[in-house]
Amino acid sequence: MADKRASEILKGARGEAARAKSSADLEQVRVKYLGRQGILTQFLRSLSSIPVAERPEVGRQANQAKAEIETLLGERLAEFKAAERRRELESERVDLTVPGRRPPMGTLHPLTLVQDEIIEIFQGLGFAVAEGPEVESDFYNFEALNIPKDHPARDMQDTFYLSEDVLLRTHTSPVQIRTMKAQPPPVRIICPGKVYRRDADITHSPMFHQVEGLAVDGNISMGDLKGTLELFAREMFGPRTTTRFRPSFFPFTEPSAEVDVRCFLCGGEGCRVCKQSGWLEILGSGMVHSQVLRNVGYDPEEVTGWAFGMGVERIAMLKYGIDDIRLFFENDLRFLSQFA
Amino acid sequence: MKVSYRWLKEFVETDLSPKAVADRLTNAGIEVAEAAPLVAGLSGVVVGEVEAIDKHGVCRVATADRHFTVVCGAPNLTVGARAAFAPPGATLPGGQKIQATRKRGVLSEGMLCSEKELGIGDDADSILLLAADAPLGRDLVTSLGLDDWILEVEVTPNRPDCLSVVGVAREVAALTGAPFRFPAIAVKEGDADIAALAAVEVEDPDLCPRYAARLITGLTVAPSPPWLAQRLRAVGLRPINNLVDVTNYVLWELGHPLHAFDSDTLAQRKIIVRRARPGERLTTLDGQDRELTDSMLLIADPERAIALAGVMGGANTEVTAETTSVLLESAYFNPASIRRTSKRLGLATEAAYRFERGADIEGLREALDRAAQLMADLGGGAVAKGVLDAYAAPRPHPRIPLRLERIRRVIGICPPREEVVRILQGLGFAVDETKEPPEIVVPSFRRDVSMEDDLAEEVIRVWGYDRIPSTLPGGSLALVRQPAALRRAARVKQALAAAGLSEVITYSFVDPERLRLLGWDPTSPDLVALRNPLSQERSILRPSLVPGLLEVVATNRHRQIPDVRCFEVGRVFRSGGPDGLAREEARVGIALAGLRFRRAWYAGRDTADLHDAKGAAEHVLASLGVEEYEVRASASPFLEEGRRGELVVGGEAVGWFGELALGPQEGYDLAGPVFLAELSLDRLGALPPRRVRYRALPRFPAVQRDVAFVMPQALDVEEVEKEIRQRGGALLKSVTLFDVYAGKGVESGMRSVAWSLTFQADDRTLTDEEVNALHAAIIEAVKKRFRITVRGINPEGG
Repeated sequence: MADKRASEILKGARGEAARAKSSADLEQVRVKYLGRQGILTQFLRSLSSIPVAERPEVGRQANQAKAEIETLLGERLAEFKAAERRRELESERVDLTVPGRRPPMGTLHPLTLVQDEIIEIFQGLGFAVAEGPEVESDFYNFEALNIPKDHPARDMQDTFYLSEDVLLRTHTSPVQIRTMKAQPPPVRIICPGKVYRRDADITHSPMFHQVEGLAVDGNISMGDLKGTLELFAREMFGPRTTTRFRPSFFPFTEPSAEVDVRCFLCGGEGCRVCKQSGWLEILGSGMVHSQVLRNVGYDPEEVTGWAFGMGVERIAMLKYGIDDIRLFFENDLRFLSQFA
Repeated sequence: MKVSYRWLKEFVETDLSPKAVADRLTNAGIEVAEAAPLVAGLSGVVVGEVEAIDKHGVCRVATADRHFTVVCGAPNLTVGARAAFAPPGATLPGGQKIQATRKRGVLSEGMLCSEKELGIGDDADSILLLAADAPLGRDLVTSLGLDDWILEVEVTPNRPDCLSVVGVAREVAALTGAPFRFPAIAVKEGDADIAALAAVEVEDPDLCPRYAARLITGLTVAPSPPWLAQRLRAVGLRPINNLVDVTNYVLWELGHPLHAFDSDTLAQRKIIVRRARPGERLTTLDGQDRELTDSMLLIADPERAIALAGVMGGANTEVTAETTSVLLESAYFNPASIRRTSKRLGLATEAAYRFERGADIEGLREALDRAAQLMADLGGGAVAKGVLDAYAAPRPHPRIPLRLERIRRVIGICPPREEVVRILQGLGFAVDETKEPPEIVVPSFRRDVSMEDDLAEEVIRVWGYDRIPSTLPGGSLALVRQPAALRRAARVKQALAAAGLSEVITYSFVDPERLRLLGWDPTSPDLVALRNPLSQERSILRPSLVPGLLEVVATNRHRQIPDVRCFEVGRVFRSGGPDGLAREEARVGIALAGLRFRRAWYAGRDTADLHDAKGAAEHVLASLGVEEYEVRASASPFLEEGRRGELVVGGEAVGWFGELALGPQEGYDLAGPVFLAELSLDRLGALPPRRVRYRALPRFPAVQRDVAFVMPQALDVEEVEKEIRQRGGALLKSVTLFDVYAGKGVESGMRSVAWSLTFQADDRTLTDEEVNALHAAIIEAVKKRFRITVRGINPEGG
């Protein structure tokens, strides 16, 4: 007759495991059957007293029962743990709408953002940044740029003077002169920086920022200037930007051009912002005057070049719809936080 | 400059609308800022005649077929005068609708109107009187030519020829192909010879290369006829009398400034053009007595100065109501000299504006003839025979060879040759095609054209900038790397913004009183001052970013924003730079006030303190790869004593941090402490570059031990840390200060400072015994050196 003890032990363990109500109950079941003094452990120890012929079969049954009990207990334990974790999570509810713990985050000034964007666009076209002093000599700021003393063109740039011949630069053009004097062509630079003019109202600040560009090479034309600035305008104001090239006058360029973009507020119909003209002026430009090239020791029959200059405030005002230039320098944090 | 469209059409036969003319001009570089009707909203106003006025100011006004009773108190009404009359139903600019209304007990049927009420001038006190032969009942708009447009032309400094109706008309003709008609000018001369009546002598032909004059006699001064007065009003000029108005009219029409002297006031009727003598004085037409210098050019008679040449006439020879003869001046003066005089005296006039840009040395004769004839016509006088014309060295017309290849090279495209010739001729240039390349002869009114590229611009601006092809520059590839200073500034800005600070940009010029408050002497020669500041508050170039940052804190606090954490990257200025310029230095400045972190449920309510400022400065250093620095006491006068430190890297001071002293805090009205730091980006950039090298990761475990000392407040932690490191030697890998405590449980005047020490060997696993022995030795050394005690040791760490 077959030994039924193993299957009876298994049956008992199954029943008790099913009745267990917690992981602690389950632990008691484990100790009762599988512990050092457990029922199945003792049964396995007693196998030596079983007749040799039956021993392999009973032993196999006992080991199988042990494996089954272990599996069963493992499964039940996982169930209890899952249920307990569920209860724990339910009792400790998290409000998902409470604001997250954010690392601090500050802001860059809108003029920095716009200036960096301008630099990035021209850097992509092979222009390197050049910088120069904000306190300049009359020579670099005016004379070398074909604006002699007592010339009415000086009225275009009302100037702060420190002495007879030293002034706050009125544009970043002196950096172009310094760069050209220091190196032979080709030249491809942009000059960002602070500039100063003696003028203050809602569209003029005594201090503002400019980015100027200069390209001089053996064979470079006004068509290249036009193409480059159209590309810039589309990058800066969007791919559908329409531009207009319009003749103008600057003493250091000949021919000269101003660049307008189609007013993006009215679409060209005419509105308050574009003063009914349908166009917004964004920058001045032109072919470098041959006298300026000669002033830096270049030969205007050998090289041609073009230059352009724009006010960063102007671009930022158009881009963000800001109507008072003084906001940039008041630094009200509620203003500064709008551009990050 | 305001240009009347009707006036313009006298000289160019264009069919284009005023708006279209404006667009065409703008696209050719003569910018029209605005094109607007001369009057808008004026209707139903007619020519009326005042038939009777009673003593209560009740008038009877007649139009062609009706009579009206009108109450009007204007002082210039006389019986028989014809005037602008708005009957009931008429509309005035601004939308005012005229109705019969009861005034002073009388039903007033309409209104007699002033210039101001009609929107055509500034005179609001008197009624606009019309010509005695103006047809009764005729619409005022037609009668006065008010159906006109005004183009506001912004002429660039190189184009003085366009500061005239004729000049703009010439452009319009060249741009549209419409015929250009120069005004017909003919003088009916009398019998008297001017040479016998007056004389001109130019002593300084450098400053006055040409001086022409005519004499007109037998004149009667009177108000200008309505057509002339209205033309002047339309372009914003105030009518005065027939003689003065003629000079203004010709100025506007031909662009050349003229001056009329009452010739009976001239000693010996002789004009002498000379420099002023030192100390010489002249009372100008505006009534100002002016002291002159010998750099100024004068018009004089043999006895005295009578005008500031090209700038303003003198009161002593002014045309008055009694004037009967006029010596009319039409001259060319040296532009730079006129500009110096005008600037020196702060006297900006229409005449000076044109002379300093360059007048037309040949066209001045036409202007003289035109004005002389008009004066004679309007003043009932006669023009004497001949012209006094001192023109010692007639100026040649420049001839410039023009290569079409040059146009193509500079512009990228070139119109066909016939087109080039046609454009230049239309603008008044002569083209000599017998030469190759053709030579272009520049007319006297285009002083701005002096070289080949100027002609290229003329051609292409008329042909159309829109026809220039859009291309991109070719050329070889070149390395583009931004300068180190720019990258350094960008890195610092990014680091501070990412750490929660807001970038600000403040003015480079500061208030000397603010500097004084911060301990600078604003008169120090070390500072850089503006000679012509806009205001005292913005007159000195900042020697530090601090004044601007404090303004930012103050501004925000006054606007209910108490928590300000900001920084600025910018230059500061000191005198004594190279070539007489300034010493400029790029710096970053930091200001912290109010809460340490933006208010949030997890952030706590701690306010920023000194160590936040120091930490921000360390953050800047770390962002530039600088981890090692020392702190020295600072002596900055605007920082609190004992709460100010200098940051020293490699033996050089690179910046500072500290707490703003109470004086400036109150002076700026900051309502609370502010913590500041400032570092020199230029000095940091000049440090030897850091070489980054990889170090192998440790292969053996580290052991950590903590220790807390109870030490006097006066003992710096740095001293203790130095001792720990020195005694710890190579096995002590790192020392981290993790707790500073004073208060309950610690004796007054003392504080508890705790460090965590990490021990590690590169070649083996350290044993507990080794570590314990070394740790104990360190503690003993510190205790003995500083005579301090240990607060409690947890040998297991934590």
